[in-house]
Amino acid sequence: MEKVLEISNLSKSYGLITAVNNLSLEVATGDVFGILGPNGSGKTTTLSVISGIIAADTGSYKWFGSEPNASLRKNIGSLIEVPNFYPYLSLYKNLVIAARIKDKPLGDIERVLKLVNLWERKASRFDTLSLGMKQRLALGNVLLGDPSILVLDEPANGLDPEGIAEVREIILRERENKKTIIMASHILDEVEKVCSHVVILKNGQSLAMGRVHELLSADDPVIVSCREAEKLKEEIVRSGLSESVEKDGDELVIVLKKGKGARDINEFAFSKGIVLVHLETRKQSLESQFLELVK
Amino acid sequence: MRSIILNEITKTWSYKTFRVIILLHFILFFLVVLVTSRLNITIPGISTDNLYYFPNIWEFFPWIASWFNLLLAILIIVMTGNEFTYRTFRQHVVDGFSRSDLLKGKAFMILMIAIYSFLMVLLFSLIFGFIFTPDYSDGAFISKSYILLVYFVQAVAYMSFGFLLAVVFRNTALAIVLFFLYRLIIEPVIRLFFPARLRQFFPIKVISNLTPTPEFLAISSGNQDVGNGPGSLNLREIGILAEDLPVYLNLLLAIGYTSIFIGLAYMLLKKRNL
Repeated sequence: MEKVLEISNLSKSYGLITAVNNLSLEVATGDVFGILGPNGSGKTTTLSVISGIIAADTGSYKWFGSEPNASLRKNIGSLIEVPNFYPYLSLYKNLVIAARIKDKPLGDIERVLKLVNLWERKASRFDTLSLGMKQRLALGNVLLGDPSILVLDEPANGLDPEGIAEVREIILRERENKKTIIMASHILDEVEKVCSHVVILKNGQSLAMGRVHELLSADDPVIVSCREAEKLKEEIVRSGLSESVEKDGDELVIVLKKGKGARDINEFAFSKGIVLVHLETRKQSLESQFLELVK
Repeated sequence: MRSIILNEITKTWSYKTFRVIILLHFILFFLVVLVTSRLNITIPGISTDNLYYFPNIWEFFPWIASWFNLLLAILIIVMTGNEFTYRTFRQHVVDGFSRSDLLKGKAFMILMIAIYSFLMVLLFSLIFGFIFTPDYSDGAFISKSYILLVYFVQAVAYMSFGFLLAVVFRNTALAIVLFFLYRLIIEPVIRLFFPARLRQFFPIKVISNLTPTPEFLAISSGNQDVGNGPGSLNLREIGILAEDLPVYLNLLLAIGYTSIFIGLAYMLLKKRNL
């Protein structure tokens, strides 16, 4: 897979506050890369740096293996923070300005305005739109010229549930079209559903990074119930099979060491003559994983 | 470059404040030259009509137009300030403009506004000059017309200074206040601490001296040589008016200062986060 974006040891401080601290990551073609983190974790700063509006203090980044420049950005659809348009201009004129900057045909404006359901409002001034409509217009701007890479910073920000669903639909459609999407979001459920890869940031540092399903399955606990729970717990602790074992009523909650699974527990219990009544692997949500990491 | 120009035109023509200020500029200039032309003060040996004769009008009208350069500078401050307020400079860079493209856009606007103002003064000078001048057959109307070009440089210089302040403060109101404070108080006060010969080299002094106050007494008395001829009255020599730098030197300095304003603005645009 071709590397679309390569960030190496990127750092950015605002006075005494370190927004991004020695961050490195890679995004390949076709990835839907989620950037997760609490407020102030460096998500927007990272996206602002790769969009050319903020200079990094140290480190570097490359788009398609090349040093970043303005003409490369013309082919990357970016939405950073809030939609920025001229309030006194119509939606259409605002997109005309954007299309000229990106060197894209003006004919594409109709397509994107229809895509974000704003074609009927094309003559309205930007400052007459609701927050959700503004966000949709910003998405329309991102999609102008059908770029192969989308950089989205909180794309569902300020949207109502219907708007969030619309944005999700647009992102999923772009994913189907094999677009590379880099997306910062607070909505963990959304990231879990949409993204193929994720990085979790805290204080500008990467806490975890990788494929979403790998991150989620890494620490999936195994739940076991049996008559001799106390004995089984002691045996498991003694065997070194697990990272941790906790007794919760009649159940044992076991976090296994890497490479071990529920099958290993079943075999182990059998070898010790303990009959299991119930055995299941409890899937973790990204939310619980995220909360655990940023704790 | 084409997209930069077209975008600036789209932004400005759709902006009501721009249209109002330009209209105000045009009307104010027209009213002032019209009203002063109706004030026909004639006492023996002196007539204000002389101000409207070729070639005096080339001095008089640019001087009047220079009062309204402040309006043009405010216009540039407002338009540049808007780019920061609406965060559209930031969006333009995200969309694919370079920082120098941002500068080119505003430089284009400064030139366009200066050309408009130049053409306005040219038009009124020709109309009033041909109406008032009793005899322009000797080609007198061409001499001193170069002052119009000097006025053009002055308009560009004022607007460039306004642009720099807007980029420095990124706040329209603050930049306008600072523009006036610097022009009316800060620089004049600083100049007082310097010897008279050095005072002429300060930026606002250099720029405002491009269209110096016409020597009304000399012009109104019809004596073109006042201040030059033998035994004539020279207001600068007797200390009523300060000694000015030669026009060419003033012009070079003004162009130099304009380059510095634009260069500094570019440096800030390039270095700062948007």
